[in-house]
Amino acid sequence: MRYTRRSSLALLAGMVITPLAAFAQQDYPTRPITLVVPYGAGGTTDISARQIATMAEEILGQPIVVENQPGASGTNAMRAVASAAPDGYTLIATTSSPSFVTPALRDVGYDTLSDFIPILNYSGPFHGVVVPADSPYDTLDALIEGAKSGAVTYGTAGAMGGAHLAFASVARDTGAMLQHVPFDGASKATAAVLGGHVDAALVPAYRDLVQDGQLRLLGVLDGTNDPDFPDAPTLKDAGLAAEFPSIVGIMAPDGTDPAIIAKLEAAFTEVASSDAFRTFMTDLSQPVRIMPGEELAKTIEENLNAYREIAKGLGN
Amino acid sequence: MLVDAFLEVLNLWVLVAAITGIVSGIIIGAIPGLGPTMAIALLIPVTFSMEPIPAIILLLGVYQGAIFGGSISAVLLNVPGTPSSAATAIDGFAMARRGEGGRALRFALYASVIGNIFSCLVLMALAEPLARFALDFGPAEMAMLMLFALLVIVLFGGGSKLDALIMVLVGACAGIVGLDPISGTPRFTFGSFAFENGFQLIPVLIGLFAMSEVLLQAFDREPLVGDVEVPPLKSSVVRFAELWRMRVTLLLSSVIGTFVGILPGIGSTVPAFMSYNLARSRSADADRFGKGAPEGVVAPEAANNAVTGGALVPTLALGIPGDAVTAVILGAFMLHGLAPGPFLFRDHGLEVYAIFEALLLSSIPTVILGLLFFRVAIHVTRIQPRHLLPAITILAIFGAFSVNNSLFDVCVMLGAGVLGFLFRRANFPVPPLLIGLILGAPFEQSLRQALLTSGGGYGIFVGSPITVGLLALIGLSLAISLALSLRKART
Repeated sequence: MRYTRRSSLALLAGMVITPLAAFAQQDYPTRPITLVVPYGAGGTTDISARQIATMAEEILGQPIVVENQPGASGTNAMRAVASAAPDGYTLIATTSSPSFVTPALRDVGYDTLSDFIPILNYSGPFHGVVVPADSPYDTLDALIEGAKSGAVTYGTAGAMGGAHLAFASVARDTGAMLQHVPFDGASKATAAVLGGHVDAALVPAYRDLVQDGQLRLLGVLDGTNDPDFPDAPTLKDAGLAAEFPSIVGIMAPDGTDPAIIAKLEAAFTEVASSDAFRTFMTDLSQPVRIMPGEELAKTIEENLNAYREIAKGLGN
Repeated sequence: MLVDAFLEVLNLWVLVAAITGIVSGIIIGAIPGLGPTMAIALLIPVTFSMEPIPAIILLLGVYQGAIFGGSISAVLLNVPGTPSSAATAIDGFAMARRGEGGRALRFALYASVIGNIFSCLVLMALAEPLARFALDFGPAEMAMLMLFALLVIVLFGGGSKLDALIMVLVGACAGIVGLDPISGTPRFTFGSFAFENGFQLIPVLIGLFAMSEVLLQAFDREPLVGDVEVPPLKSSVVRFAELWRMRVTLLLSSVIGTFVGILPGIGSTVPAFMSYNLARSRSADADRFGKGAPEGVVAPEAANNAVTGGALVPTLALGIPGDAVTAVILGAFMLHGLAPGPFLFRDHGLEVYAIFEALLLSSIPTVILGLLFFRVAIHVTRIQPRHLLPAITILAIFGAFSVNNSLFDVCVMLGAGVLGFLFRRANFPVPPLLIGLILGAPFEQSLRQALLTSGGGYGIFVGSPITVGLLALIGLSLAISLALSLRKART
């Protein structure tokens, strides 16, 4: 073999790059990480993501820059991250809606299951079934029974959201006439149920209004009970085959090195389970719900399939 | 309670926070595209380590400052910094063209402060009963209210009612693009993901007002080679007697702003235009409106600033934010351990009243800082258009991009700019288009929500005292408008 200038350069480059590639995983991160938030700045998802980012910076030793890419119920940001370089420097802090609700309804330009690697879940607000204090319905059963003899209206944060689909499947299974009224955000649905314009609402952030006696909590849409209201049943407790688990978690584009994923999962789990983070989230009225990446992947897959079934039933 | 709260306010940090908030608010508000929502969201992390009271004062100072700051660029450049100051631009810019920019700014400043104080007092005195009242506004009531607002814009805007109606309908049609609010299916998106969001308000606003202004000036004038004559700056003194003569306008506008602010989802642009049109229709010489009438500056400014206090009513008393800005403020309150909702006043009365009192007192630094700021800002009117217009174009592109970090919004802005230019050249009024876009989609949603709750029966629109009252107002304004045009035809 003749040592030309080109081949020696190639050899030299190979010698430099090969250890670097191995080095990259060990030494990750070597530059700032971008954490995309699919909603506007200042919302609860954004605030909690900024906090977890700030706290994880200390462990990872590199700045984590939070970037807001709101729009189209979070699907714009998901699409952008799905096509980003899988080098561990672009992550997304995402929620239920763009992960498994909207993708079940229509083409969103990404597949949550094959385009992302879930790293961990750290929060997820409970969604409650609430009625006004003077409502005739005391339990979920009573509400469903009432809806069999005449239409019962319920408000949610928006058309084809997780809460809507969960109740749509309840209506299909029980034959109850549950009439959906979509609002522009959960707070408007809460206002409508407080004013008695709808019979019930499926909304998060109900705690103070329930404790004040303005609203009555009949149950929660999640798979587990709300620790603030252990007596409020889940839909499954009440014998209904539906749930809307709320997730807030961090994911990386598919193809990211497993070593990097492991490093990120360790760092974010350490932060999310710290007391400081829990205190912060309590102030924000948000629960801390830690779930490892694999479990989060399973939750997303199960729900994506369940929602696809429900969506088919709705004629979409 | 009030005295204890006042003692909390007597703190150097509160003053520092208030001034920082107001100054950054005014500057951010004056830049088109950067509204109070973004300003507050960016400053929330800064307040993490602060005490609750100064932290909230800082953020609310930004809110108030930004709403007022939007009027500075509206008056001086005819480029509203925030959507709510679009109404201020009509007469404010006309005054500035005459060299009375300083006076227009002062009128705007004093009206803003009066609107703020009014709504703040309402918030302090009546937060809980008013929040209850707001809950009585369900979908049917909101639909009637929005119909009334649209009618006021069409009937009392001055100029041709047909033109205004056409523009409102163009705006409402533009509002159809995006996801259907009830069924969630995409409408007129042509299979493009970018269209699913619909046309966002801020890019459209910047295009319609800022970009079209650039195009108008570029095509209207003689080639901009030489220096354009700039009117000399006139004295900018505003006497108390002048404001006193406008006391009814100020009061009515503040009431409209506060009231609409309490109701979720309408925002501050619509009440600003409603107040402007109301002031115009009440005025003895309505013809001066649009040509630089001080009342045309005062009315919208009092209204859009009064919205801030109103919007805080349901946010604080019930924990239900009416729009994006108050949702961000709600988050800030929570972070500082003051969770808004039914327990806020009971558990944190002291802090809350201290915050209200500081908001009232912050009128003083607002006036001082505003007046100082004007001394510099007024010279913008003396910059040659050939230097100014490229700067506005850059700001417009930057502003449109910054809303969602999306190039699609920049294209929407440029498209709206060309459309706005054509409409303005053809003498169509642009503000009704903006109102149509703002109210079109929520009106459709409320109408359809009401019909869903009533099972399809139209009776729901006459089913409550509020809807009947609003229907009466609608009938009354139609009758007045008809009577006015009949009388005009006879003379």
